Amino acid sequence: MSFFAAEALSLSFGGVHAVRDVSFAVEEGEVFSIIGPNGAGKTTLFNLISRFYDPDAGAIKFGGEDITRLAAHRIAAKGIARTFQNTELFAHETVLANLLIGCHAHRRTHLLEELLFLPRARRQDLAFRERVEAVIDLLHLQGYREQTISALPYGARKMVEVARALCVAPTLLLLDEPSSGLNPEETEDLSFWIEDINEDLGVTIIMVEHDMNLVSQASHRVLAMADGEVLAVGEPAAIQSHPDVLRAYLGD
Amino acid sequence: MRFVLKTRYGQDIDLFRHNGQRFWYALLLVALLAAPWVLGDFYVGEVSLVFIYAIAGIGLMLLVGYTGLVSLGHAAFLAIGAYAHAWLLNHGWPFPASLAAAAAFTATVGALVGIPALRMTGIYLAVATLAFAEIVEQVITRWESVTGGYRGMAVPPAELFSVSLLDVDVFYYVCLAVLVACLIAALNLLRSPSGRAMVAVRDSEVAAQSMGINLARTKTLAFAVSAGFTGIAGGLLAHKIGYLAPDAFTIVLSIQLLLMVVVGGLGSMHGVIYGAIFIGLLPQGIALVRDAAPPAVAQIPGLEPGIFGAILILFLIYEPLGIHGRWVKVRQFFTEFPLYRKATHRRQRSYLRTERVR
Repeated sequence: MSFFAAEALSLSFGGVHAVRDVSFAVEEGEVFSIIGPNGAGKTTLFNLISRFYDPDAGAIKFGGEDITRLAAHRIAAKGIARTFQNTELFAHETVLANLLIGCHAHRRTHLLEELLFLPRARRQDLAFRERVEAVIDLLHLQGYREQTISALPYGARKMVEVARALCVAPTLLLLDEPSSGLNPEETEDLSFWIEDINEDLGVTIIMVEHDMNLVSQASHRVLAMADGEVLAVGEPAAIQSHPDVLRAYLGD
Repeated sequence: MRFVLKTRYGQDIDLFRHNGQRFWYALLLVALLAAPWVLGDFYVGEVSLVFIYAIAGIGLMLLVGYTGLVSLGHAAFLAIGAYAHAWLLNHGWPFPASLAAAAAFTATVGALVGIPALRMTGIYLAVATLAFAEIVEQVITRWESVTGGYRGMAVPPAELFSVSLLDVDVFYYVCLAVLVACLIAALNLLRSPSGRAMVAVRDSEVAAQSMGINLARTKTLAFAVSAGFTGIAGGLLAHKIGYLAPDAFTIVLSIQLLLMVVVGGLGSMHGVIYGAIFIGLLPQGIALVRDAAPPAVAQIPGLEPGIFGAILILFLIYEPLGIHGRWVKVRQFFTEFPLYRKATHRRQRSYLRTERVR
């Protein structure tokens, strides 16, 4: 029984088979990367896992539970959090507010308690804040805490998005191209942070990534996709020299 | 420049950030409490109307400014609150119970409107709410056994702790108390998960969902809470105008309410108050100017709506964040002087937001 498994997932948009019969399994504690040329179906696969799309066929299992038909907003409570390729932050809010929204899945108060802000609502907010501060400490975001997202540089926004996902307190973290738009230094920092998140917090990570340096530094196993199909799964070095992968990237 | 030393996380949760704010808001409250002794009856009545607009504005602001759902039909919620309150008073309910029940009823209607509105945003939602307001107006006109149709419906004189609300000063204090209570409730909501969920839905629906926010629930809740506040305002407005007729709650009123939150400043509760002052007192201002102006100008028909429209357009072009937005910039200029950067508030265009999931 693996920690996370996609079983024969398929999804087509009209005549385009975005994802075709994709199966893979991720073990607990792994950093698992998905690579592939543009249009290979990586982000579609992510959107299937985070339940924005319904698969035409196949199943998604997480922690022994079938989550194939779960509503998108119930995924966070199961312990799956994600980031987005081009950042989807709450742009008019401060970093702190963004991270507090990340705690939403752990909300226990009801509307009346919130309208009157009864002691339980305050205690809950304090508990959220402590969780947020732990994440801020982990990712060194102290300097950005009170700033609005629209005032942040792009690299910082990417990290805030990772931080927000961590506030969900996930056991499985999905990172959609975490290094896109980052400079080489920021990318290097990112690989250390991925290691920290994975080893210190024990979070299993699945990431879509184009930067092969980051992939081979950070990940334990790699899955290569092209045209919606799985080409190969294996160690980063083996995938990089796999003939099918080379053909997908470079042509014959 | 003030630097607030934070030693507890509670300081970020409290409604007031520092004692300076507590002092100024207390002073404002004292001034408002003393106002009836200073102002004449007419102006006390006008300020009560500003309070009522502000209560409705809180409701509309939660929906438009915080959840990002536009409503062109809020006059309907005002009407529902007013008629429900008057009807209950006519059936012998005491004032507080009647007002609360009217608010609850309006909130329920709001939730029902919210459900079909879930799939709509932007202009489509505006049109749908406009249609809803039209339906409500028709229902009020035809349902004569309850509403009195075109003949209208008298609002019975109400009492609170055996003091008549017909007294201008008493009504003023009641409106002030209700406004303060509504403001605190709204601010409480905004510092809790439900309020933050609204903001999340406004800024990014996909991200909100993957943070565990139920879009349908949040939007329905936003409509219900918004309608509830507006219903309370409707109940108070019923006392203010004394006699309810369908033509008091037309599209023009809906537009005025929307104008209020836009001119005041979307996304802030300060904006609601500024907007209410603007909407409530501008007609008086225009009337004063009209009296002083030469007859050729003063007798132009449609002067008042024309000026309203012109002001709205000017705000949309030069200060989309409204009066509050302007105030924030001015304050920032002085607190950061001489380090203020002009670009801080420049509107940014985002080319990068993903369109892959909709």
